[in-house]
Amino acid sequence: MIDVLYVEDNPDDVDIFKRVVGKIEQPPSYKVLNTGIEAVDYVLRRGTYQNKETSTPKMLLLDLNLPGNNGFEVLQQIRSHNQGRTLPIVVYSTSDNPKDMREAFDLGANAYLIKPGGYREVSEMLQRAIDFWVAQRGQH
Amino acid sequence: MQEIDIQACDREPIRHLGKIQAHGYLLSVDAQTFLIRQCSSNLSVFYPDNLSQVIGLPLEKLQMGDLSGQEITQLIQFALKQSSLETLNPFSVRVQERDYHLIIQRQDDIYLLEFELKDEALFPSTLQNLVSRVMTNLQQSKTIQELLEKVAAEIKLITRYDRVMIYRFDEEWNGEVVAEAKDKDLEPFLGLHYPASDIPSQARELYKINLVRTIVDASERAVSIYPATDNQTGNPLDLTHSVLRAVSPVHIEYLKNMGVRSSMSFSLLYKGELWGLISCHHYQGPRLVDYTARMSGKVISQLLSAALEFRKDEEDLTLVNKLWRSEQTLFEQMQRDWNVVQGLIKMETTAMDITSASGMALLYEGKLYTLGNTPNEAFIRQLIEWLKHTKIDTIFHTHQLPRLFGPAEAHRAEASGVMAIVISRQLEEYVIWFKPEVIQQVSWGGNPDEKPVVAEASGQLRLSPRKSFAKWTQIVRSTSDVWRQAEINTALKLREDILQILSQRANQIRILNEQLKLAYEELDTFSYTVSHDLRTPLASIKTYAEVLLIDYSDRLDEEMLPLFEKIVSASNRMGDLIREILHYARSGRTELSAEPIEMRELLYSLKDELLVSEKGTPITIEIEETPSLKGDKTMITQVFSNLLSNAIKYTRPVAKPHIVVKGVKNADEIIYSVTDNGIGIDMKQGGKVFDLFKRLDNARKFEGHGVGLAIVKRIMQRHHGRVWFYSEPFKETTFYVAIPTH
Repeated sequence: MIDVLYVEDNPDDVDIFKRVVGKIEQPPSYKVLNTGIEAVDYVLRRGTYQNKETSTPKMLLLDLNLPGNNGFEVLQQIRSHNQGRTLPIVVYSTSDNPKDMREAFDLGANAYLIKPGGYREVSEMLQRAIDFWVAQRGQH
Repeated sequence: MQEIDIQACDREPIRHLGKIQAHGYLLSVDAQTFLIRQCSSNLSVFYPDNLSQVIGLPLEKLQMGDLSGQEITQLIQFALKQSSLETLNPFSVRVQERDYHLIIQRQDDIYLLEFELKDEALFPSTLQNLVSRVMTNLQQSKTIQELLEKVAAEIKLITRYDRVMIYRFDEEWNGEVVAEAKDKDLEPFLGLHYPASDIPSQARELYKINLVRTIVDASERAVSIYPATDNQTGNPLDLTHSVLRAVSPVHIEYLKNMGVRSSMSFSLLYKGELWGLISCHHYQGPRLVDYTARMSGKVISQLLSAALEFRKDEEDLTLVNKLWRSEQTLFEQMQRDWNVVQGLIKMETTAMDITSASGMALLYEGKLYTLGNTPNEAFIRQLIEWLKHTKIDTIFHTHQLPRLFGPAEAHRAEASGVMAIVISRQLEEYVIWFKPEVIQQVSWGGNPDEKPVVAEASGQLRLSPRKSFAKWTQIVRSTSDVWRQAEINTALKLREDILQILSQRANQIRILNEQLKLAYEELDTFSYTVSHDLRTPLASIKTYAEVLLIDYSDRLDEEMLPLFEKIVSASNRMGDLIREILHYARSGRTELSAEPIEMRELLYSLKDELLVSEKGTPITIEIEETPSLKGDKTMITQVFSNLLSNAIKYTRPVAKPHIVVKGVKNADEIIYSVTDNGIGIDMKQGGKVFDLFKRLDNARKFEGHGVGLAIVKRIMQRHHGRVWFYSEPFKETTFYVAIPTH
């Protein structure tokens, strides 16, 4: 059972994510994947994850700019399967283009967070997101 | 009311009148058997007992006084051996001590034999001399007019007729006397016009086949042909090629009314069509110009016809060359930037130059352009409306517009003549040329409308030839100079070229569009790279600097701390700059999706958002009237966000910062203003305010990159709106944005 599945290809962002999570009092469990294909396989239990024991995360934190399948394709593929229909997906991207935001929501994203680019702001944003999608849900 | 047989003249069977003139004899001989089939009834001179003896007689048994049929038969047989009758005609024969020309022609299955009196006295020089004299005249004449005058004089000299006229037809077959040589005591006919009805159409057709005609004596009774119809064919004899053919009684009456005793005419052809006639009149008595003299006259008329073609072609060619050169220039002008309007009317050479018109109009892309002397716009539009419903494919022209289109009467001074080409009927695009009214004074040889009606013996009413030839002058109005073939051809060429330019332009636009699409795609890639690949490492720099500041501050000394802060603040500035550049690029490119915008809501939420970071400052933002407008919501939000944050930024140094936003709606646009009491802008530097990356002197201490107002301007341009400002530093600075309401 993991709380957060983080799909991100930028090692710096992953590094900061780990740092932020590490500072949380009751840190959530997480798994980091680097490509969109892996993320889809993981969630839908396909490919290399076909026979492995995986669990549905409480939240998918999804970068848009990914090698291979980008974030939009990940969204589209996950949302087109039953297993992925109820998974909370939070897009986490550098892009502040309204078009990208609209498209992400159209494809079924639950939230869209613009990467603020700074330690203090990133910490606040990630903590709030984890608090909302993981910790709050966990209490129920 | 009894019907008047107005077509009587046109219907007269002039080829088959069955009569010849009295000064000769005619025989029709079977080409196979050499038996006589028909003869002129004056042969009864030689067969006083019974003319019917002649019919069916073998030609060699014929006896015409001292001329034996055997002689004639030998002549024919001799001619047949020589294979060509034409070159041997005429044969000289003597009948009753008088010299005759015998003209033999093959016609279907008969030989037509005609005997005509010979009169050498009338033929003063050899044909060779004559031809060389005429050729000299042709070469020396500078104009067609001069040539016609010389030929008229030459013909008078040869034929010794009292009057020789050269008669020219207009496009409606009215004739005009364009050259004349006459005896001194005669009244001049030069310049007089004769109505088309004077020469009926079937007579004109005959004139194209048989180029020479003469009536030796109008007062002499014509001689009938016996029997009236050929026994074998049952038809009357075809006299088309006859040299003795009698003319219709109507024509004889016409000549008598004119006081003419003897007449002769030669056809003048231009490119196979009747151009005019050389017409000779004799008044005092009969006049026989014999066959050889007539043939000389025919040679002259043929030379003249050839010269006319050549001269007319030459004169036309000069005009054609001039018009086509202008047309070529127009084509090049239009081609320069595929601009039809520019090329046709805005340059030195205009579409006026391809015709002799005095005014022109161009209706193109819904706009009407005029040059020169034209009727008013309302009439031109009315004319175009009429043209639309007139059956024209590509070109229309008339030199008498008021005759076809009544309302043109009021504009005849400018537009009696009109030529129009259709660029696109669907888009209602035309080029129209105008020619002014030319008031003509036309002198007719008698009133052309006067055609007395007489009752025939049969009781049917019909028109008789005119009796009055007194000069009758008419004023012709609502008529312009005619459109010459060269003008029409050039206009058609121009039409083709315009269509080509339009299709070239369409292609060019397509190519440009494709290039633009490519460029945009590249720009997209570039923007994406900037937005992501540049901001990502920048974010890392900033983040790690902050990690050091926050997580490891206990290990940093006093000197190091501010260095990391500098890294963070520089990263911030660079991040902002990248974002603003992206916004600027996007504001010019992304598709506009115009929608009604609730400005009140938009402004209040912007106000709240912006004031969050201004807590603790005394700034006030007042929002007055907020008429809603139509536009792209994202972009309009950007505009007001930029204007308001500028106003906030530049009012920070003043004691009581105050900002007022309000909108005013007028007939065409909605104008919003954002007024502040900040540091303001030196109006001398006003020109730079909206330029990208330009920052003003007094703004140096403020954060910014000189992009915000450039974005505002660009967004306004995308909305076909305007932006401007007014400033009195530290007192009032107002930025205005106006968005059209339509």
